[in-house]
Amino acid sequence: MRLPERQLAVLEAASATDERTIDEIAAETGLKPETVTGAAFDLRDEGLLSVVETAAETLDLTDEGRRYVDDALPETRLYRAGLAVGADESPVSMGRVIGEADLDGPEVDIALSNFARKGFGSIDSGELTADPDADPGADPEAAALAALADGDDPAVDEAVLDQLDSRGLVDRGESVTRSVTLTDDGVDALMMGVEATETVAQVTPELLASGEWRDVEFSEYNVEADAPAARGGRKHVLRRTADRVKDVLVGMGFQEMEGPHADSDFWINDCLFMPQDHPARTHWDRFALDVPPMEGIPDELMARVEAAHRDGWGLDGDGYHSPWSQDFAREVALRGHTTSLSMRYLSGIAGAELEPPQRYFSVEKVYRNDTLDPTHLLEFFQIEGWVMAEDLSVRDLMGTFEEFYRQFGITDIRFKPHYNPYTEPSFELFGEHPETGEEIEIGNSGVFREEVTGPLGVDCDVMAWGLALERLAMLTTGAEDIRDLHGTLADIEFLRDAEVSY
Amino acid sequence: MPVVDIDTDELRGLTGRTDTSDEEFTEDLFGLGLEFEGETDDGLLQFEFAPDRLDRLSVEGVARSLRYHYGDDRGVYVPETNDPEWTIEVDESVPDERPYVTGAVVRGVDLDEGALDSLIQLQEKLHATMGRGRAKGAIGIHDLAMVKGAPLQEGAEPSITYRGVDPDGDTFVPLDANDELTPNEVLAEHATGQTYADLVADLDRYPAIYDELGLFSFPPVINGKRTEVTTGSRELFVELTGTDQWTIDRMCNIVCYALSARGATIEEVEVNYADGATHPSEYGAELVRPNFDTDEKAVGHDRIETLLGVDFEPEEVVDCFERAGLDASYTLDEDVTYEVEIPPYRVDVLHPLDLVDDVGRAYGFDNLEPRYPDVGTVGGRHERSRLEDAVRTSLVGLGFEDLLNFHMTSGTENYDRMNLEAGTDAFGGGDAVEITEPYSEEYTQLRTWAVPSLLMLLERNTHNAYPQDVAEVGFAAGRDETQDTNVAERRHVAGAVARRDASYEAAKGRLKAVCDDFGADLETPRTEHPSFIDGRTAAVVIDGEEVGVIGEIHPAVLVEHDLEVPVAAFEFHLDALR
Repeated sequence: MRLPERQLAVLEAASATDERTIDEIAAETGLKPETVTGAAFDLRDEGLLSVVETAAETLDLTDEGRRYVDDALPETRLYRAGLAVGADESPVSMGRVIGEADLDGPEVDIALSNFARKGFGSIDSGELTADPDADPGADPEAAALAALADGDDPAVDEAVLDQLDSRGLVDRGESVTRSVTLTDDGVDALMMGVEATETVAQVTPELLASGEWRDVEFSEYNVEADAPAARGGRKHVLRRTADRVKDVLVGMGFQEMEGPHADSDFWINDCLFMPQDHPARTHWDRFALDVPPMEGIPDELMARVEAAHRDGWGLDGDGYHSPWSQDFAREVALRGHTTSLSMRYLSGIAGAELEPPQRYFSVEKVYRNDTLDPTHLLEFFQIEGWVMAEDLSVRDLMGTFEEFYRQFGITDIRFKPHYNPYTEPSFELFGEHPETGEEIEIGNSGVFREEVTGPLGVDCDVMAWGLALERLAMLTTGAEDIRDLHGTLADIEFLRDAEVSY
Repeated sequence: MPVVDIDTDELRGLTGRTDTSDEEFTEDLFGLGLEFEGETDDGLLQFEFAPDRLDRLSVEGVARSLRYHYGDDRGVYVPETNDPEWTIEVDESVPDERPYVTGAVVRGVDLDEGALDSLIQLQEKLHATMGRGRAKGAIGIHDLAMVKGAPLQEGAEPSITYRGVDPDGDTFVPLDANDELTPNEVLAEHATGQTYADLVADLDRYPAIYDELGLFSFPPVINGKRTEVTTGSRELFVELTGTDQWTIDRMCNIVCYALSARGATIEEVEVNYADGATHPSEYGAELVRPNFDTDEKAVGHDRIETLLGVDFEPEEVVDCFERAGLDASYTLDEDVTYEVEIPPYRVDVLHPLDLVDDVGRAYGFDNLEPRYPDVGTVGGRHERSRLEDAVRTSLVGLGFEDLLNFHMTSGTENYDRMNLEAGTDAFGGGDAVEITEPYSEEYTQLRTWAVPSLLMLLERNTHNAYPQDVAEVGFAAGRDETQDTNVAERRHVAGAVARRDASYEAAKGRLKAVCDDFGADLETPRTEHPSFIDGRTAAVVIDGEEVGVIGEIHPAVLVEHDLEVPVAAFEFHLDALR
């Protein structure tokens, strides 16, 4: 007969005459108790072993019970306090005795109810009398607690145990002890001789090469058990959202732009016809950098932009009635929007002079001095896109954006007339959240003013729009706090667990 | 964006639409670009709008826009004005930094509490917007009955004088005070004075307005108590001072239009800039204000049609102009061009295109049918963006969690906590680009390298399970005056292995795998770096060029970041993989 190695060990350790417990066999064979148990049941199923289960009551102290072993039962403390203040001679106010006993909270009620029950004395009209003959030292409940704490199996009266149980001082449980004996078949098998068959846990190269896999048994697994989760790396959830946006835009014929994060105010704001005293250009809203001013701006371009600000553009144009200086235009700051890239591309400075039609986009970081909160970061990603063509109309703008947002399941866009210094007409875009149905702002758009395109040398129409990538990402991931996603405060578990969107 | 508080009962009165509900007004105002924001404690409805139509900063202006919207008014409206009786004399002592003044006299006003509140609101909102926090323009409104105008010469008109005052010179009782104070005392002791002190503190002489009785207003800080406007005031003197004549003239127009809408009569004032006083070069030294002259701009029919994508009859366009509160005339030539007249409260019409927007709003942008532009272009990703993405894919394949950290950091994080000194040759040790006047101590500079960001993230995640292998392909920057912007911007590839058995070998194995993916040749000659353990640090040399660092993070740096596991990390320039 052949048996797996563990079963053979258990069979050999078992006796036909004496019941042996699992623990005893485990100690003898050096196997783990659960392994022995498993093997014993397998042997029983083979009819080689019988298994007997004996249930026994277990008794354990609860935390409260353990505390009373150290501090004495509350009623005992109450009684001793009573003696200390002379309640054995005349009644003493209850408050005083409780104070002396240093009882508080629920212990007070526990002490009072058991005090009377155990005949330690009486309580009447708020006064306590202690019976001088009572002897808490002989209290069977205290004795039982002490015995349990010492680990003795107390030969305790069942009624006392019930009492302790009802007071929540002991936990009563049940333990099962399994013992095995050899059956006659088991004895016979041993006498005939049993050999160990190899049970194999793992397919090994040696097993495959030697062909031994044909002669072994593979141990069974609990295939329903949980396995530790495997963890691979993942692309950042915002990057994935950005990838998605880029895919959509490339599919719609847009080329990607790139350019400096630190740029002159000229490219960031002046080209956009933002007056130099515009509130968004004050210290509080931008991150100016402590580097020398930017010199490499073409003089003619600078002059045209300055002229647009001072005097307007075209025959009937008016300028701003705001101060304007080249020094400010040359200051270097972190870009507050990626429209600075659009300005560079439209001017031709980023590469070739562009002839219509063109479509360009970027999904890049911008910097705004804001208060950090669940929906605002100092750094975030802006989706920026523009279309350059002859005679573009507001209807083309609407059609383009409807198509873009449709790719993200956002339909029924509303175009709310808006104002930006750099576009006219301008629209805020509102759309319905695909899940909540809420009307949310999803972008800002418009046709670049001639004060913007004219100085850049562009003489056709350019329509543009922008929105925060985080806004889309929060919609698609359900993140409620943007700080979970972006930056060094991010929670790595959140990143690992964020559902993949595609 | 500006917010206007609207008492809808006032709105019903001013529009004459007594049956319109709050909800209907809210919907109509959304169409005009005013978005309902909420309700004030006093039950006024708050509407937010873009800062172009600053003439809508009061219930009177909003009502005017609604009347045009409903078609109850059409075309340009200019209130009648009476000839001037009063003069504002501008003395040469006026501070050069705030040279300009304008104003108007308003008679026959009947201000109940609501109207007075609206006037004060308009004044404050104009200060915040066009007035750039009172720096560019500030409005003072006075009870004319309390102003005593002394003619400078026999038989001349009554006048007030805009002049400069010694900061410790004359005294007056400002609003919300009981004592005579000098201008300097106002700045030091009065709450409003403290708020606006910065606007004048550097001046040798402060702006001041005098009448026969003396100093009564201290623009742009505070008016005097003597001329305070109350519900009992029947005649007002409006004065504005500022740094730009056009700006204060327009602010004055908006105030006058609002008062006129409540039945008041506007009376002109003369503004005489004295010899030696700075006067506005485009208007001369003698002005009559308010200036209700309309502007004219021409816009072509074609431009309107192409920009809106709609075919119009000229009559339709004229109708739209009139419903926008403009007037337009045209001649039927081959190319129809409209001569458009623009009322003097509009501050947003800088170009004929702004008129096309007005036509679009009057026509209703909602009525436009979207269409996908019939323009073919080829799309594509930028080369750098593709490279970054490919490296990210390699790192993720090696089990790294891809991170996205802030580009702004502090010197403490970038250098100090890394045991690194600024201005050294070690990788990341170069001089950082600093943010001037940073807003927060945590964000004072651009990071020079990315490993500190990875360690900050690990520090935040010590409660989470290990291993934590993290990587980032991201931005780093340094000062570099050879660059156009004087900032060198680079992309770095950084990775960190944080686990019980993290070792130099673990980091190098991964770095090697990335280099192999891109066919780049990696060498790691021994080097020293204060953030890493001596003897376990190497330079990253890719294709023969030193581009980064790799090693086991120094225990002092680990402990500084509360880390209880070893960390091995690398960082190098993305360009090396090109």
